[in-house]
Amino acid sequence: MSTKTASNKGQEPKSKSLIYWIVGGVVGFGLIVWLAIAIAGEGSVDESIAFGEVTVEGEGLPFVETGAADPATGLTAPTVTGETIEGGELTIGPGDTAKIVVMLAHWCPHCQREVPLIQDWVDSGALPEGVELYGATVLTNRVRDGDTWPPQEWLAEEGWTTPTIMDDQEGSIVSAYGMTGTPTYVVLGPDNENLGRLSGEIGLDGLNALAGLAASSLEG
Amino acid sequence: MSSDSIFLYSTIVALLSIVALAAAAGLLVYRVVKGPDAGNLLGVKAVWLAWLVALTATVGSLIYSEVIHFEPCRLCWFQRIAMYPMAVVLLVGAIRREYQVKYYALPLALAGLGVSIYHYLMQVFPSLEGGSCGAVSCSARLVEIFGFISIPFMAGTGFMVISVLLGFYVNKNSV
Repeated sequence: MSTKTASNKGQEPKSKSLIYWIVGGVVGFGLIVWLAIAIAGEGSVDESIAFGEVTVEGEGLPFVETGAADPATGLTAPTVTGETIEGGELTIGPGDTAKIVVMLAHWCPHCQREVPLIQDWVDSGALPEGVELYGATVLTNRVRDGDTWPPQEWLAEEGWTTPTIMDDQEGSIVSAYGMTGTPTYVVLGPDNENLGRLSGEIGLDGLNALAGLAASSLEG
Repeated sequence: MSSDSIFLYSTIVALLSIVALAAAAGLLVYRVVKGPDAGNLLGVKAVWLAWLVALTATVGSLIYSEVIHFEPCRLCWFQRIAMYPMAVVLLVGAIRREYQVKYYALPLALAGLGVSIYHYLMQVFPSLEGGSCGAVSCSARLVEIFGFISIPFMAGTGFMVISVLLGFYVNKNSV
């Protein structure tokens, strides 16, 4: 009897210690959740401002395959109409000019590096006559990078002057051009024929090569 | 799941990471000041705490992939390979009060920490991966909280806390 009592007495501090740990943990976690709700609540915003209405006429191009020749070369791309980042409307379709469409995701570090480079290239007047450059903001996601959201503000801060449409939440532009990575470039002839697609940072040499490809479609 | 919910969940995990990182720093300082005697501070609780961190990280990553539907990238998988077994191994070690559990778990924690650091660096210097963000990209961040906390940062914090606990607070005399 006396042994049992002594044993119980010996275990008391351990039990109390465990209770303190559990209570402390629960209270601490509660404080963290409360703080997170306070922080996250401040960031609650209308996300629809970063998306636009998009209309696609025609069949979308097959998706770009890594390391393989573009299966969509020679196919006619669909006509895409969308809302621009300035609030206007823009149609990318058959016309008198060749076109380069660059698809950008605001959270993608490669797009973030490529945008100023493209802007410098445009500012230098390197875009050939008869070739137009268009942009499209795709895969927009505030959680992935709040600093560059909404993408129209990010592009404005970069001094972006290229006419740019915003994809919708369903990714209509992504599907229309068969995009699998960002940035993706699509080169279209005047009749909207896909002359080639390229994914990744391409630098000034790449931009000049794409511009040359687009310009070649105007000859003859 | 809505963006607001994902942001709230990620903020909770990010705050937990900050607290855990601060705790790890405190434990390191205490170890430096007290020397090997610091191992007596937590006793077997060090193994239980390490298990709790591994369990939280495991459940947390499963919520990201199975509830939020973020597809893990290649480096995320390597970190999972290191973290998930620890949620089991450390539990067994804690129940059996075996200090030797550190010899099984610590290599996993250190390997995971190395991958996490490399993954985080890849996000800071995306050219380490290549030139584009694919559907599942290691260099692109799936979440970003407070401007610097991403998923590999959270994972790295978990690995670091476990490493400190097992490396400096679990020994033959303490457990």
